Amino acid sequence: MTGVHDLGGSSGAGPIDKSQHETEDWERLADAVTVALDKKGLKTTDEHRRAIESLDPERYKKLGYYERWIAATELLLVEKGILTREEIDEKAAELEENWR
Amino acid sequence: MSEAHHDLEGHDHEGVKPSAEAGRHAARIRAIEVLLVEKGVLTEEDVRRQIEYMEARSPANGAKLVARAWVDPGFKARLLSDTKAAALELGIDASGPVEFVTVENTPEVHNLIVCTLCSCYPRAILGRPPDWYKSFNYRSRAVNEPRAAMREFGLEMGDDVEVAVHDSSADVRYLVLPMRPPGTEGMSEEELAGLVTRDCLIGVSVPRFEAVRTG
Repeated sequence: MTGVHDLGGSSGAGPIDKSQHETEDWERLADAVTVALDKKGLKTTDEHRRAIESLDPERYKKLGYYERWIAATELLLVEKGILTREEIDEKAAELEENWR
Repeated sequence: MSEAHHDLEGHDHEGVKPSAEAGRHAARIRAIEVLLVEKGVLTEEDVRRQIEYMEARSPANGAKLVARAWVDPGFKARLLSDTKAAALELGIDASGPVEFVTVENTPEVHNLIVCTLCSCYPRAILGRPPDWYKSFNYRSRAVNEPRAAMREFGLEMGDDVEVAVHDSSADVRYLVLPMRPPGTEGMSEEELAGLVTRDCLIGVSVPRFEAVRTG
């Protein structure tokens, strides 16, 4: 059984959407934080892939590209005990409140 | 085999562009950044530098490599045998644990790059991959119907040309060295680089040159 990420040759694939969206600041940030953690030796590309590939298949399909990266980076930071889910929840809620 | 694969029907956003809940995810990555900086795991400088690193990379780097390979056979040999070292000769720093492999198009073989599992791409040279490269449909079709996939980009490959599909991995990233188009003998290296688009470096397009003289 292959995972949801193993898309080579999967059935039902349609035309390729060639449109490009402009990279948003939070996507640049997701990219930078993820790679900066790799460069510090705090996680690896393989761990990042494993974290993405372990996402619930429905969630994997629903999330945008950098949303999967964020989910993976969060998972690895929590697994490694660097951050807790609770403090991320709390800080994210605080930031969302400030943006309103 | 086919039943083991997941059905893609019903995809509208192709798993690339921000979803309807992007705002929530944006808040989470900002929260993660703030917390990592507060705890001294990362500095704001680390993050800023990494953003600048990615912004400084673009397909223009790949075009420079290709144009130099077209005019300098020695460089071409080095590019094909050790892409990272050849890139450094032109001031393109792709150092790090990832390997880069340049594959050469010939009259007999056309190369196409994909990452079926995710989005692996020679980012250290070309920058971030385009959205379509990360799309579920490209990842799926590039390996089982590459000619049809290329046709959607306007590239028609004759039956006499073999299509070699390279599936990138986290450890090995590919880029294509396209063929120099005929009629470009008198062009400068810079002009040649102008013919090489990002899509040529992935293999969904080839450099084209039509000698048009005006006036």
